[in-house]
Amino acid sequence: MHTSLPQKTLSAAPKRKKWTKGDYAVFIILTLTALLILMPFYNAVVISLETNRAYALHPVSLYPAEFSLKNYQYLIDKGQLSIGFQNTILITISGTVLSMAASVMMAYAFSRKFPGKKLLFLLMMFTMFFSGGMIPTYLQMKALKLIDSRWGIILFVGVSTYNIVILKSGFEQTPVDLEDAAKIDGANDLVIFFRVMLPLQGPLLATFTLFTAVAYWNEWFWSMLLINSSGKMTLQTVLRSIVAEAAAAADVSTGEADLDVFSQGVKMAAVMMAMVPIMCFYPFLQKYFVKGVMVGSVKM
Amino acid sequence: MMDMIDKKRGMRLRNRVRLKRRIWAARNLYLMFFPVLVYYALFRYAPMGGLMIAFKDFNAFLGFEKSPWVGFKFFNQFFNSIYLWRLVRNTLLINLYDLLFNFPASIILALLLNEVPNKRFKKAAQTITYLPYFISSVVIASMVVQFLSPSSGIVNHFIAALGGERQYFMTQPGSFRTIYTVMNLWKNIGWNSIIFLAAISGINGELYEACMIDGGGYLRRMWHITLPGIASTIVVLIIMRLGHVMDAGYETILLLQNNANLETSDVIGTYVYRRGLRGGEYSYATAVGMFQSVIGFTMVIMANYLSRRYSETSLW
Repeated sequence: MHTSLPQKTLSAAPKRKKWTKGDYAVFIILTLTALLILMPFYNAVVISLETNRAYALHPVSLYPAEFSLKNYQYLIDKGQLSIGFQNTILITISGTVLSMAASVMMAYAFSRKFPGKKLLFLLMMFTMFFSGGMIPTYLQMKALKLIDSRWGIILFVGVSTYNIVILKSGFEQTPVDLEDAAKIDGANDLVIFFRVMLPLQGPLLATFTLFTAVAYWNEWFWSMLLINSSGKMTLQTVLRSIVAEAAAAADVSTGEADLDVFSQGVKMAAVMMAMVPIMCFYPFLQKYFVKGVMVGSVKM
Repeated sequence: MMDMIDKKRGMRLRNRVRLKRRIWAARNLYLMFFPVLVYYALFRYAPMGGLMIAFKDFNAFLGFEKSPWVGFKFFNQFFNSIYLWRLVRNTLLINLYDLLFNFPASIILALLLNEVPNKRFKKAAQTITYLPYFISSVVIASMVVQFLSPSSGIVNHFIAALGGERQYFMTQPGSFRTIYTVMNLWKNIGWNSIIFLAAISGINGELYEACMIDGGGYLRRMWHITLPGIASTIVVLIIMRLGHVMDAGYETILLLQNNANLETSDVIGTYVYRRGLRGGEYSYATAVGMFQSVIGFTMVIMANYLSRRYSETSLW
């Protein structure tokens, strides 16, 4: 079946049946590249599953010599990470929903005609190239009483001008006929927006939802600046404190009884735990974001 | 005469009525706009107004209004310090290394991916190479430090196995740029190849067939068809990158920074953070940040102008 279909893939190279020498060379180079990219992850997994004794003997090995989940156990018992997870999940979900809703509305409005559009669009574009910078932004956050508030992080990441610009051209390219047809059928503005316009932007919306969610999940710098109380700390700040606190880590590896727990192991276990949610969602969303990025780059 | 004035007034009046009607017709759009408009005012434009403290001796007790004006004092302080050259040099070199090594690497990856005959393998290779782009900077920095650890890192393990001496990479100023560039290569190579893959997919397939009939192999196809086909994309991206040579993502740098490697790892962003938010010198740090913003803005405008002249691609 696939031979009769016209080429829809990104590949511009024609299909061949037999692999040539060049094909094998490409195959080998790409396999090596992929392995090199995966190596740091694999290295971290192995260390996180190791026991202290085995790690002391062979810090670099292909597989855990003495398999143990004690490092993970230790992290879960300590509870810090679960607070981080709770806060980050809360911030990611509410932030993504708010940010996407606002971006979509703004982009749709910008794709229509109204008085003052040019000026407002220029004002928005300007923020892509010039900003007040770190200190004035921080002082503004302080003035708005957003210090030590989860809202501060939600609002700081906020909406992305770039996403709005791309989404706007997406809406602009929807045929006017579609809208007219819906109007003749008696649909009002809201119905047109939700039933006609939005579904057409599927890949772009999926892409930007993914990007926004990842931005919230990964945000470290501003959550470090804004959040003081330990109950509101996000996943990345907790992770950073676990990794950076050398003193606390040393205490772990020389501490009382549990010799199976050790600082590098705990650090890498924390790293793995922070990554797992992204690793889980990522493969499913990949086909959308590649499409979305392509559309975006063409539309720019 | 009177007639004409009346006519003009009438037209103006009509225009005004029409404008009102147009605004009223677009009321739903304004409503959709409103939340984001407030957002932009509070979180994008208000901080720009806050830049005025670069020209004041800001004192938290006196506030924005009452702090005394000092003119260009803090700019002069920065221009006369040893930091100006150090920060600019580090920022430029980090971006230059990226352009020299990582930019071509992503083009090569796109060319290779394009040549993969097996669809499933291609997809797997793409999935793996895009993955690091989505990993947080804290995770990446932690893995870098572990990877390069003198006692237990994999890199030093191999150095020791080959009879070399174990290196304290993170505290050697001479290693920082290499570490940072390789880290970014690892993180971005897949992601940056997407745009080139998109450009390649726009090349006419008949060209390849013609080349095949003429007996052209891999390298000839690549050299004579694929590369010329994406040349304009490459040029535009280089111009845009040149527009951003004064920006360096400071988050990951901050995570990899320590007192020992400051000489090569300090960039404007990390310096502003250290002096401003850690040291409390708000006005001075704002001036330093503003210096970067203004230069960055000018360069992006210039890059965009060049890009528009060279090709039809521009950001606006």
